[in-house]
Amino acid sequence: MTNLSILIAIPLISTLVGSLLGKRGAAAFAVLGALVTLGFAISIAVDYDTAKAGAQFAVDQVWIAPLGVHWALAIDGLNLALIVLTAFVYSCVAIACALRNWDNPGLFFVWLGLGASSVLGAFLAQDLLLFILFFDLMLIPFYFLTGQWGGRDRVPATTKLVIYTLAGSLLMLAAGVAAGAMTASETGRPIDFLISNLADHPLSKGTQQWLFLCFAAAMLVKMPAFPLHGWLKDGYRAMPLPVLAIFSGVLSKVAAYGLLKLVLPIFPSAAASFQTLMLVIGLASIIYASVLAFTTDDARLVVAYSSVAQLGFILIGIFSLTDDGAQGALLQMVNHGLVTVPLVLILGLLAARSNGSERLSSMGGIAVGAPVLAVVFLIAALANLAMPGSANFIGEFLVLRGVFGSTVVIAVIACLGVVLAAVYMLRMYIRAMHGPNDNGCEERDIGWLEALPIVPAILLVLALAVSPQPLLNRSESAAQASVAKAAAAADQNPVSHEASR
Amino acid sequence: MSINTTAWLVLAFPLAGTILIALGRPILSGRKAGVLGTLAIFLSFLSALVTCLKLEDRPEESRQFVVSLWDYAVTSDLNAKFSILIDPLAMVMILVVTGVSTLIHLYATGYMASDKGIFLIIGWGLVGAASYLLISFWYRRKTATKAGIKAFVINVVGDVGLVLGAIIIINQTGTVDLLGSFAKAPQVFSHDGTTIVAGCLLLLVGAFAKSAQVPFHTWLPDAMEGPTPVSALIHAATMVTAGVYLIARMHPLFEIAPTAANTGAVIGCLTLVIAATIAIVVTDLKRVIAYSTMSQIGYMIMAVCVGGYAAGMFHLITHAFFKALLFMAAGSVISAMAGEQNLNRMGGFRKSMPITYACFIVGGLALSGIPPFSGYFSKDDILYVVGAQGGWHWALYAAGYAGALLTAIYTFRMIFRAFHGEPCEEAKSLESGRIFHAEEHRNPGDGTLETTEVGYPGAKHHIAERTAGMAISMFLLAVLATVGGVIQLPDVSWGLDRFLEPSFVGAKVLPTNHALEIFGLVFGALIGLSGIATAWFIWIKRPGMSARIEQRLPAAHRLFVNKWFFDEAINAVFVKPFAAIGRFGERTFDRVVIDSAITGGSLSLVRISSAAVRSLQNGMLRGYIAAVVVGTTFVTLYFLLQS
Repeated sequence: MTNLSILIAIPLISTLVGSLLGKRGAAAFAVLGALVTLGFAISIAVDYDTAKAGAQFAVDQVWIAPLGVHWALAIDGLNLALIVLTAFVYSCVAIACALRNWDNPGLFFVWLGLGASSVLGAFLAQDLLLFILFFDLMLIPFYFLTGQWGGRDRVPATTKLVIYTLAGSLLMLAAGVAAGAMTASETGRPIDFLISNLADHPLSKGTQQWLFLCFAAAMLVKMPAFPLHGWLKDGYRAMPLPVLAIFSGVLSKVAAYGLLKLVLPIFPSAAASFQTLMLVIGLASIIYASVLAFTTDDARLVVAYSSVAQLGFILIGIFSLTDDGAQGALLQMVNHGLVTVPLVLILGLLAARSNGSERLSSMGGIAVGAPVLAVVFLIAALANLAMPGSANFIGEFLVLRGVFGSTVVIAVIACLGVVLAAVYMLRMYIRAMHGPNDNGCEERDIGWLEALPIVPAILLVLALAVSPQPLLNRSESAAQASVAKAAAAADQNPVSHEASR
Repeated sequence: MSINTTAWLVLAFPLAGTILIALGRPILSGRKAGVLGTLAIFLSFLSALVTCLKLEDRPEESRQFVVSLWDYAVTSDLNAKFSILIDPLAMVMILVVTGVSTLIHLYATGYMASDKGIFLIIGWGLVGAASYLLISFWYRRKTATKAGIKAFVINVVGDVGLVLGAIIIINQTGTVDLLGSFAKAPQVFSHDGTTIVAGCLLLLVGAFAKSAQVPFHTWLPDAMEGPTPVSALIHAATMVTAGVYLIARMHPLFEIAPTAANTGAVIGCLTLVIAATIAIVVTDLKRVIAYSTMSQIGYMIMAVCVGGYAAGMFHLITHAFFKALLFMAAGSVISAMAGEQNLNRMGGFRKSMPITYACFIVGGLALSGIPPFSGYFSKDDILYVVGAQGGWHWALYAAGYAGALLTAIYTFRMIFRAFHGEPCEEAKSLESGRIFHAEEHRNPGDGTLETTEVGYPGAKHHIAERTAGMAISMFLLAVLATVGGVIQLPDVSWGLDRFLEPSFVGAKVLPTNHALEIFGLVFGALIGLSGIATAWFIWIKRPGMSARIEQRLPAAHRLFVNKWFFDEAINAVFVKPFAAIGRFGERTFDRVVIDSAITGGSLSLVRISSAAVRSLQNGMLRGYIAAVVVGTTFVTLYFLLQS
């Protein structure tokens, strides 16, 4: 019997134990814990019965009885791949972190472990308040990781990060409590927050709409989406790189996942009525972030803005309210998580070779002396710009097809983002790798230890490029179920859905 | 072995070769890697040949079928399987690509012997990314990497067009399977309706970007930054012809969308004329050939868009032969010039490089459409198919012949300037048996000084005609360029037509016009010959005449030399606005609106309210008392007013 509670506990407990064992022990236990988590997650994926729809490995106990909060965890088609992704990214990041020296490593790894645990918790939660709890818990370790181990200007960055996300989270908490309370009073049953129960008893349309907006605010800040991305620039710049890898790789996905898991099923008619708004926000994120990524000189910001643009694609995929869009969004979440880790870590390698500078203008021409690094970077860059033949291409194709089915104009404009992605990724790749090496960058190839956290991710990207099918198989029915009600609501709403199938 | 296995082997061999070379990099010398790469492609060619023979053994109605390996992306109503379609049309393409590629690899193995030629062969495995990688092969060169980006981005634009077009067609027909969607298309689309026309126009964007048609062509001449074998590979045999294949492949769709097909034909026609006018003034040897490629593909696009599928494919085949030959021969000249590509500095290589000269003549005659060389028959076939349809097609027909005249002129301008006249210093040095090495290397693109590590050419470079491997591939291509026309001799053997028939069952039947056919054969030959005579007159008989013509027609000259200002227009319309928006976003919008208004606003709200609360708690008893009094008053007033 697989107990999902154990999965959540492993990263935190392993790092807590490690913190008692001194510097070496902290790192070793963190890596060990991460690998055990990964093994556990893979075993779940193997045992997962694709043919069976609905929740599996479910845990459901009343946790805080007076409030009706359940400790409810389960695996379904939506979160299976994301759980494995989180465990995988955490493993890569733990290895990358273990290879560096940190002040006070015991505490550092405990925060990292808590971060991983809370992300896993948020993905597994089947209770609305439990999800919100984990969602807010995620913020704490990253607040300290940035504030204590971050780079320049980390204090204003953390302040911004906290204010932004806290504002969103509090709105979501209030809306979550309200949703549970109002559902209870309408159905006359004792209060509970189980997502499935809330989804089975939809509230009136007006109520749904303001609750939806509160939830959407929290998710859009976390992703982030234009124009709520104010914390992104400083936050990304201040974070230590391996921490950024896990932050950008999986934390943003929790928000996108939240939209699919909670928002669409619980507030279907609100999702339908705000469909156009959300599509426009996604589109604006794609275009605005792509254009910024195309002009900025900071390599880290290229990755940051590229991530905003990718999440914009995920957002429009979800709010196309079609099966294809949802499937594409889920596939893109995994793809983007997988490709972000190597990109961010490679960024560190590049900076180390150009005298510590992460500015594109101070990099240059190291491909001759570092051919393997060049190839690894190229694979990551091509996957990120969704070259035909990569799984990212399939993801974007599904998203675009979904959006095309609901709003043609948005799909056509979003294609601009595809083109711009090619421009900014190649620009970054070329600045760092090609051209004359006139900044005196060190032409040192990737070392074995440097490759350790990067190469597995690259191999996985290649494997998915050969066959994305296993992912699509497992998420198909769940993705369909999560958009079904909102899509039905949108079909009844003739204004926002004139171009429907 | 079944036909399915051999078909997959066609793909498996190059892939296996690529992986072997990539993994064996540390132990394989450049030369061994080159041999391995050539062998892999050659085996692939053999598999293609076997597949082709097996296909011919099958009854005609079952010569078109799909082989699937595994489910790629099957979800909801999308059903993408990892599969290939085998039919005579695909076979022609595979044979040309693998066959010509084998010769190019053989040539490259010698050409790049002193270089990092390995990347060329690794790149072959991923033709998509390869276009970028191969063009920016000399990646220390800024011009090369810039050209690489340009090619990649324009191809992404094409991919987007293709994806959107595919989405339209898949959504309507409900299947991603090519044959399935062709079968359903006539029922779900109204003839020449908006949807199918839009879908086909989007497919055309994809085809035009890949095949360098106006206005998506600007990457092709710049792509000449790549090494010469790469130019031969991409610009003769493989990538650029993909658009022609795409249209021929999708012909059932284009036939129910005549508006889209006609648009394609007109653009092909425009391209063939525009490119020919540029080729006549360009001074870079390889860029002349590049513009010529663009122009010749214009003919092919025009052919497949008016329904002359076999004619288009015929020209695709012969063009692959003579253009690969011309590129290889040009590579030989450029080697002899130690990397210099400017025609103004060349001259008189006739005596010092007789084999190269012969190759140029054979390739040039085929390109100019002189009987009995292969290009004569294929170009004539295209123009005949176009002209036989009558009506407005006569305009295309006339433009096609104008293009043919220009083709003969620019081809022989290039040959006369490189091989005739007073031998240049490099040619003289070669005549005395010494290969010229430049004192300093300059980038042929922008003239900047380069160190040898930029790449080409190292201290020990070869010229093609004196190396066995390179000479063999040039010789074989020269033979093919000469006799390649036999696969489709008008009235004698419509060989290609018949071979391709199973792929085009149900395609529209083209009108025939025997008199026009005879007229075309004679007129085409005359046009070609008069073009050569013109070139001879301008550049041999009356040197200095070209300068006089330039003075007479300054406007036209400026237009042609500046390549019709396409680069400038694209820059002004797309690149600059985006860069400006980006800079505005980063420097102004993000700082002012996002940081100050949204972030700053909420931050200062918090700050102001906390400051207000803080200032109230100042520990002054007087203040507290005043606050209590004011508060009590207000509460009392509130209740008084309520009642």
